[in-house]
Amino acid sequence: MAKLSLSNVSLDYPLYGAYDLSIKRRLLGRVLREASTMRTLRALDNITLEATAGARIGLFGPNGSGKSTLLRLLAGVYPVSSGRLEISGSVMPLLGLNSGVNPDFTASDNISLLLRIGGRRPTQALIDEIWAFTELEDRMRQLPLRMFSSGMQMRVLFAVATVFPADILLLDEWLSVVDENFSVKAEQRLLKLVSMASIVIIASHDQGLLRRTCTSIVRLEQGRLTSILPVDPNSAHPLGLRESA
Amino acid sequence: MSMTPANDAARRPSVLHIFKVYYPDLFGGTLSVIRDICAGVKDMFAAAVLVCSKSAGDRQIVVNAVPVERVPSFGDVLSLPMAPTYPWRLWRRIAEHDLLALHAPFPLADLVFAFGLGRSRPLVVHWHADIVTHAWLRRLVEPLMRRTLARAEAIIVSDPVLISSTPLLREFAAKCHAVPFGIDVSKYDWPPNRRAPVNARGRLVLACGRLVPYKGFEVLLRAAQGQDFEVWIVGEGRERPHLEQLIRELRLDDRVRLLGGVSDSELAKLMRVADVFVMPSVTNAETFGLVQLEAMAAGRPVINTALDTAVPRVARDGLEAITVPPRDPEKLAEAINTLIADPERRRRMGEAARHRAATHYSKATFRAGIERVYRHAVAAGAARTARAQTVGLVAAIKIAAALAWSDMRHRYVRSLLGPFWMSIQMAIMVGVLGSVIGHFSNQGTLSHLPMLALSLTAWTFLNSVVLDATTALQGSASLIKDRALPPAIFLLQCTFRQALFALHNACVPLILWLLLTPGKVDGIVEALPGFALFMACALALSLVLGALATRFRDLKPIIESSLTLAFLASPIVWSPEMLNRSSTIMRLNPVTHLFAVWREPLSTGHLALGSLVYVLGCFAVLALASLLTVAHLRKAAFWI
Repeated sequence: MAKLSLSNVSLDYPLYGAYDLSIKRRLLGRVLREASTMRTLRALDNITLEATAGARIGLFGPNGSGKSTLLRLLAGVYPVSSGRLEISGSVMPLLGLNSGVNPDFTASDNISLLLRIGGRRPTQALIDEIWAFTELEDRMRQLPLRMFSSGMQMRVLFAVATVFPADILLLDEWLSVVDENFSVKAEQRLLKLVSMASIVIIASHDQGLLRRTCTSIVRLEQGRLTSILPVDPNSAHPLGLRESA
Repeated sequence: MSMTPANDAARRPSVLHIFKVYYPDLFGGTLSVIRDICAGVKDMFAAAVLVCSKSAGDRQIVVNAVPVERVPSFGDVLSLPMAPTYPWRLWRRIAEHDLLALHAPFPLADLVFAFGLGRSRPLVVHWHADIVTHAWLRRLVEPLMRRTLARAEAIIVSDPVLISSTPLLREFAAKCHAVPFGIDVSKYDWPPNRRAPVNARGRLVLACGRLVPYKGFEVLLRAAQGQDFEVWIVGEGRERPHLEQLIRELRLDDRVRLLGGVSDSELAKLMRVADVFVMPSVTNAETFGLVQLEAMAAGRPVINTALDTAVPRVARDGLEAITVPPRDPEKLAEAINTLIADPERRRRMGEAARHRAATHYSKATFRAGIERVYRHAVAAGAARTARAQTVGLVAAIKIAAALAWSDMRHRYVRSLLGPFWMSIQMAIMVGVLGSVIGHFSNQGTLSHLPMLALSLTAWTFLNSVVLDATTALQGSASLIKDRALPPAIFLLQCTFRQALFALHNACVPLILWLLLTPGKVDGIVEALPGFALFMACALALSLVLGALATRFRDLKPIIESSLTLAFLASPIVWSPEMLNRSSTIMRLNPVTHLFAVWREPLSTGHLALGSLVYVLGCFAVLALASLLTVAHLRKAAFWI
């Protein structure tokens, strides 16, 4: 069963100034008895959060409030500085859709590469399935990805990223670039993925989107958790997407 | 739209039982425990067994509906199977299962776990016994066993006393669970028409177990000397000739019989007709004595020994058993005679024994206990793996290889010749250098060219791997930060990528060799180990320097200039013979030896032993530094 629990988790992000990244300066500093100037920024401060199966948590907050950092911490990119982080279940971070993409390669080669990066064997059936989802013309498969418009690229990347379900899904600012028509389909697929994943955490500036998809909204400010508000299902958004899942 | 690869919720988690031997090669307590676990928890867990076998039969067999894989073994030494491929097979099998159940002691499997392999799956250790017979062997493998236990989610013992009496288990008391073995008492019921549980003139003493020293059958034979009871011993083993000789020496031929192996139903029958059951075990290798529990289920009074294990706690002195000191034939004979002379006491003890077996050691309790520990282990293991590393070693290598392959294809996308452009450059360089060097060397220029080209290819590889690694992590920042891939993958990718390019460059020495010195193949085999060492050093160097150069940005120019210096100070384009005597710097220069380990065999046909030792030393240091680097590489996300 997927479960996620943070108790008093903090993350001190080391700030490397120009001198901190220099070994000459480090050695020289030791000779000159210069005090170490290494500073850290408390990127996440004393965060306590519990999520059990079925939770869909929206992270909301201004730029630099620690939304992405929190997602990366959950994904295992950053180690916890203090506190306890416990995760059971497989974690799927979908933070940057276009990481690992090579624009010079054809679309289908990119799909294979992205699947391999995700640790999956790219079978022809899987690639066909992904391509069918993009609703792009079949001949475009053999075109280099750099010839695609940004919306079309996003379709391909989104289709690859969401083909496998995971226990815990981490999403950062999804669906910002996809065109209107695909957006509905993408949102449906994400909702299906969300319904299959036990826990979903979404970071977004779009409060309307968070209200439609989440069961509670967590507000972050300067790395601190300021409020956890449950979303009232009765005040459902007119689109009512959560119910259609 | 279908999401085919989704997990099948109905699938039972599968347990891999790891032990040294299984049916049909042997019978005995531990094996019947494994069999009972497989059958007992089969509704919740699918089971598979991986063991050694020296029989030449099928490698994959099915025993009681459980698939059993048997790894070939040359036989046993110090009761350990000599199966060199077992660790490899185990490592390959681990990923296919959800839970690993190691039946200890089994140092061959500890070897796998102690080196940190198979961390992706939770492990439960069934502690059957300590290694008692070979004290020095125990000292040797204790660190391995400790590491296995430290890594395990749970340790299952048959009785709480084992936790306090085993020093190694005391260290891990918090994760020890006492789950007593269980038995199905109804299997030992008398047929309804023949009820005669106690024979008034009974003098049949039964013992059962493998014929090995710790079972103490020798003590039983000595106890039988000069008495008038009969002794039947069920079981086979390497002690048989010794016991047979002892029987002849003590003139017990008419009263003592070694029955050999018998079937389960036959044994149940023997248990019912015997008057007294004796378990004369002499060491703590006997932790529980499942066979005395069987005798108890059959309603037999038991005579056991005062070991520090569960043995005197399963059948208790004065209630279900008479407990005598181990290795004491007189006391044993006295106890046997007491019981034989007193049918009423036999009846009373037998009834108490059967009652205790039915109430304290029921099969249902055993199954429920095992199932509970297994379920918790699977859940806890899932939590731990998600926290530790999401990408395993094999997966990391696969991803690095896929990325490197795509990098190479990228070169071809941009131009038709791809990396062969560099090979052309290499060919020109070989030509120029070859002609220049030919001027101040007396030997024939042409015959030196293949070696010169090969050395240049190798140097280009080493040079590019290290330089590439210094920027690799920054180049892959988005994959590290957004896809949470371990940074080590991208350093590994450098080695793979440069190896692919080096294969392209290797065309130059290959063509030169075919043209100029064809048929000269001696020394190639001798050069292979040295070449492997060269590659391993390049990989380790790229890991260490790649991480350091990412942390300290000003290291990159220092590394660059050091590489140029190393190129000039090492015999790569020139050979040591060109100088009259080799300088101290050159002899201390590790690069000299890194090339000598494979060049020397190629040019002279002999291994350069001095260089080999020097390089092995360097590699040991580099390997240690790489391990430290990989352990700290998670912080790389902060540096990029």
